[in-house]
Amino acid sequence: MGQYIDRIWRGISPTPIGVFAALICTLPVVALIPLGLSGGGTHMAHLFDTQLSTYVRNSAALLIITVSGTLLLGVPTAWLTSRYSFPGRRLFVVALPLSLAMPSYVSGYAWMSMTAVGGPVHDATAGFVPTISGLFGAGFVFSISFYPYVYLLARQAFENSGTHSFEAARTLGASPSKAFFKVSLPLARPAIMAGTALVAMETLADYGTVDFLGTPTFTVGILRSWISFGDPQAAARLALILLLVTLVIFGGERLARRGTRVAEAGGRNKPQHRVQLSPRAAVIAVLSCTVPVFFGLIAPGLHLLLLALETQPVRSPADAFWGTIMVASLSAGIAAILGLGAAYAARTGGWFANASVRAAHAGYAVPGAVAALGVIALLAASQNLLDTVSGSTAPMIAGGGLVALLFAYQARFAAAAIGPCESALVRITPSMDQAARSLGASPWTVIGRIHFPLAFSGIATAALLVFVEVMKELPATMILRPLDFETLAVSAHHYASDERLSQAALPSLMLVAIGLPIMMTVSWLVSRRQTESAAT
Amino acid sequence: MRFGIFGLVLAILGLSACSDGTPGGAGASDGKMLVVFSSRHYDSDYALYDAFEEATGVEVRTIEADGDLLVERLKADGERSPADVIVTVDAGRLWRAEQEQLFAPLSSEKLDAAVPAGMRHPDGLWYGLAKRARVLVYAPDRVDEAKLTGYESLADPAFKGKVCARSSGNIYNISLLAALIDRWGEEKAQDWASNVAGNFARDPLGGDTDQIKAVAAGECDIALVNHYYFARLMNDEKDNNIVEDLAVYWPNADAGVHVNLSGAGVAKNAPNPELARQFIEFAMTEQPQRFFAELTNEYPVVPSVEYKNAALEKLGDFKEDPIALSKLGENQAEAQKLFDRAGWP
Repeated sequence: MGQYIDRIWRGISPTPIGVFAALICTLPVVALIPLGLSGGGTHMAHLFDTQLSTYVRNSAALLIITVSGTLLLGVPTAWLTSRYSFPGRRLFVVALPLSLAMPSYVSGYAWMSMTAVGGPVHDATAGFVPTISGLFGAGFVFSISFYPYVYLLARQAFENSGTHSFEAARTLGASPSKAFFKVSLPLARPAIMAGTALVAMETLADYGTVDFLGTPTFTVGILRSWISFGDPQAAARLALILLLVTLVIFGGERLARRGTRVAEAGGRNKPQHRVQLSPRAAVIAVLSCTVPVFFGLIAPGLHLLLLALETQPVRSPADAFWGTIMVASLSAGIAAILGLGAAYAARTGGWFANASVRAAHAGYAVPGAVAALGVIALLAASQNLLDTVSGSTAPMIAGGGLVALLFAYQARFAAAAIGPCESALVRITPSMDQAARSLGASPWTVIGRIHFPLAFSGIATAALLVFVEVMKELPATMILRPLDFETLAVSAHHYASDERLSQAALPSLMLVAIGLPIMMTVSWLVSRRQTESAAT
Repeated sequence: MRFGIFGLVLAILGLSACSDGTPGGAGASDGKMLVVFSSRHYDSDYALYDAFEEATGVEVRTIEADGDLLVERLKADGERSPADVIVTVDAGRLWRAEQEQLFAPLSSEKLDAAVPAGMRHPDGLWYGLAKRARVLVYAPDRVDEAKLTGYESLADPAFKGKVCARSSGNIYNISLLAALIDRWGEEKAQDWASNVAGNFARDPLGGDTDQIKAVAAGECDIALVNHYYFARLMNDEKDNNIVEDLAVYWPNADAGVHVNLSGAGVAKNAPNPELARQFIEFAMTEQPQRFFAELTNEYPVVPSVEYKNAALEKLGDFKEDPIALSKLGENQAEAQKLFDRAGWP
């Protein structure tokens, strides 16, 4: 009997899904390698002689500012909303992640136009508020745009694991702050790091915002070697260097964390008991939660709303709206499956599965335009292969349309789904599997009856992150989309790049408007799951 | 329920994959179809597509993306490319697409008659559609126009801390410097770039419109921008107060005003080269040419076209730099190098 179960267990081993996810995510990056190795080195020499140190300095400084900013905005809000009860808490739970629906370049345009000389904020405060630009401006915009990564993952971790250990620590006489820093925070560290990693990769790979706000980072250097020097090979090479550095940073963090992995034992499914805050503390909590939503969503959103109201749209955004919904929801569904499979692979598999899953993050750390270049190169290479082997008639890119585009999205964003799924699975202890299986449950039953309910919030978070990412994605969408296919991000970008912020306002607002019901649904599903598992 | 969601997703995916895998799935109606790959995305172009559809019954379908991505996509698609017409916004981009051999030559008496020789490729690989000029915007209460002497003025020590411009990676700046390299030689162009960078009132940020706003707000006295951003503000009832007290200076000195070009060519692997020719010829007729002037504030390439645009009329005439436009492409990389050495971020 035991042997029989083991055979099934092996039969549905998730390792192939993990490897598959890793292949999708890494192949376009791998396709950059031959590209990066070809071409001459004269441009590199020029770069070393001139702007390289500026680019690197800006990237490093921006990374430090943004990571600190997102941690400051994301972790306390996650802690407050999961541990304490205060007026508006439910609203904040839904509102806090919404800033992610605002593309950072749109937020950047909006903030600069508000705070520049002659803008409403500048005029209203008589120039007291500095213009949002340069290094600190970009750091500000990224912090208010990207903190939801940290918030979402940290909150998930706090909800899942914090309570019991925190209470135990309190019972043993630790002060609330000591219990937080010594117990709850370390427990949430893997999740927070996963969120921070996403923040860091987005920050390092961004082009539009830093270029507009006048902070040339390494990515600006990458794109210039392509745009100005007509040297996509050099761009590929530099992007690979950026990727390597990013991976080393986070590989280092992972190594440092090795052996400290904690799976809390049993009984964590009792409903969260939230501590009622005193009025004074509640005011502070409300303020702490208002600040990120205000800067990330409300202020730029209102500015855009005013612009949109006084502007007659040139083209109806309806097609772009449906196009966005379609690609984003398809991609979110696929990514959730891939992410979950990859997380299982990392959990149950050996080093190979593990390494594959780590490698899947590669797609995320490459600037979007270069990632699109990798997808194009990969599809073209596959086409050549097909042509020589079988004289194929199926065009990979030219006729691939939606499939090519969905592939590009997975390549870039499936990694975002792995983190939350992994954190969700950490909740599930090996002893649960063992208990269930010793009681005769099949592996599928274990997954369906135990893992899935417990991991649901993580999977939902994963799908949500990918949905929002795909919704905002630009370069791959622009170049791989089927004919006449439009998304809101592309519309917004077209107008914004033509310096028509008022026309870009409507599609940008619609992006946020799509994010709202999605976020509310997920939040509702998550809370329902928790009640359900508490009831059983 | 949960399998229901995933099942639904898979079903939709399967459906879309099938519908997309069908040969000719992209608009397989019986009617004729023209595919335009464009890095322009302006109202004038949509008007042009609509007018062409109405005049010919041919359906126009598009992919709009940044020029460099379009080039890579066209290269990768190769013989299977669905593109009939390639449109870019910058002469340097046209040159690059030409280097990659993405165009098929087109000989058309109509086009040769309509488009001046300097505004099209000698072998008919591409034809200009519309022009934009790089000008100086200044505040007359702080700058004496009589003392301005062309683009050189931006490098004048008198303007120390008073100049605004956008970043050097921007194609408009690169094309301008590419033209100046041809005009002055590399050494003088380098000095110019370094001195302009030394005159900046602030680190480059934002787009051209932001530079105009900065002059209006007194953050700088003079800025380097494309004429049509200024014209757009002039024609905008809501925003024209920004440019009320500003003026445009045409840097007519020595070779003249730097002009850049949007252009179109027939794609090398065009499935419908004949339709592509029709489309480009149509774009040079009066109505579409007026669209460029009246909807996007650009200058039509066809000199005889009359248009109504209050702002362009007010800006008046200027002397156009007669440089061979291929130079803008050839000198592009050099221009970025000079900017990098000059410390123009």
